[in-house]
Amino acid sequence: MKKLINLTIAATAALALTTSLHAMDEKKDCDVKANGITKVIATANVYNEQAKKKGLEFRRLNVNNSDLIIAVEEAIKTGAKEVNPMHFKGKKKSKTKLETTYAAERACRFAIAALTQAKEAKTTWRLAVPGDGYKY
Amino acid sequence: MLLKIAKTTALIALTVSALNAADFNAQAEKDRIALVKYFEAKFEDPLKNRNTFFPYSTDDELKNNIMGGLKKDDFSIGNYAYSKNGRASYDEIKEFPPTEEWIEVGEELYNKKFANGNSFANCFANPAETGAAYPMFDEKRKEVITLTVAINECLTNNGEKKWGTSKGKMAHLQSYFAASATEEEKVIDVKIESPEAAVAYEDGKEYYYSQKGYLKLNCANCHVQGAGQRVRNESLSQLLGQTSHFPVYRLKWGAKKTENGLGTLERRMSGCIKDQGQVPPSNTSKEMRNLLFFMAYMNNGMKFDGPDFRK
Repeated sequence: MKKLINLTIAATAALALTTSLHAMDEKKDCDVKANGITKVIATANVYNEQAKKKGLEFRRLNVNNSDLIIAVEEAIKTGAKEVNPMHFKGKKKSKTKLETTYAAERACRFAIAALTQAKEAKTTWRLAVPGDGYKY
Repeated sequence: MLLKIAKTTALIALTVSALNAADFNAQAEKDRIALVKYFEAKFEDPLKNRNTFFPYSTDDELKNNIMGGLKKDDFSIGNYAYSKNGRASYDEIKEFPPTEEWIEVGEELYNKKFANGNSFANCFANPAETGAAYPMFDEKRKEVITLTVAINECLTNNGEKKWGTSKGKMAHLQSYFAASATEEEKVIDVKIESPEAAVAYEDGKEYYYSQKGYLKLNCANCHVQGAGQRVRNESLSQLLGQTSHFPVYRLKWGAKKTENGLGTLERRMSGCIKDQGQVPPSNTSKEMRNLLFFMAYMNNGMKFDGPDFRK
């Protein structure tokens, strides 16, 4: 049992390390067919934590991406084909219902996109400023 | 002779400090002037300039709804500044504004004694000046203080519990301050007098113009470049004038409970960021404070006209 726990910790740490080192690629990293749903949701988890820390987490139709990730993780455990994540206020379920594989892929893409677009914005935001990069 | 030297030194010190103070807001002032110029150009003659500013608007909208010839001060009333249809409804509601009773509630809150015998008057001696003073950069604390933060600090300093930061009592008290500032014809005058204040301004500016959320929108997509355009049946308001009239009573917010109809600027910004598809920063976070600081600076020179109402 102890060995199993250690193995799990090591695997998560390794995944965290590799995800932080390699270039993020939504299409590749979030492909459930290619990577398997467990790995995709683990990737989502790692990147979403980073997004949260930076204040960049996505929310769609009152569902925070972290709640979508939790719903997928639960569905993997129970084998549910559909997820119904919590409303961001945490008191009730949201109106969102998604097929589990699709939800995993979306959670992963949202987590990566939050980080990549913030990085991209560092060099593009001035293009929208009148008197600076925005010309008319 | 010694007095002469002392006077000259003092004069030089004063001049240098004045020059520095002017320097710290140089970029912000440049941004503000460029923004005013942009909106005045955009709304000078919408039909004539459609290719530049209104490529997706219909002939009917440009001829019959979007008004032209607007100048800086006209923009203080949001999209009612340019939308003929919106303005007609606005003027009608303005005859019996839904904000009146909440200003009175706010005044009662202002005068109500805390358990320790003090009241808000001990923290904010002049309601009109209070309404005009925030957001401001506190040079001692080296951070932006919003009216919401200041009110809650007043409460906790007097042994009271903090209030919620979006609606209810917080918005009601702020409406009293805003009405007082409006009555005394106060003008928005956000100051940037240190490098730290300039950094806070730049942070807020970057936040405003950075794309975020799953829709990958920045605030400017709708409220600078998109201002005047229509999303479904809503005309998008312009950044210029967006902070001059808060707190605001929104018919949408008050639909279920009228006492919740009035909301703070933080409530509105939070909703807007949520609409971009992102978890908004908390109402008292550094991100939110710096964002409001930037937005308020863009409105410098405009008259306060809050509390107001919107759809």
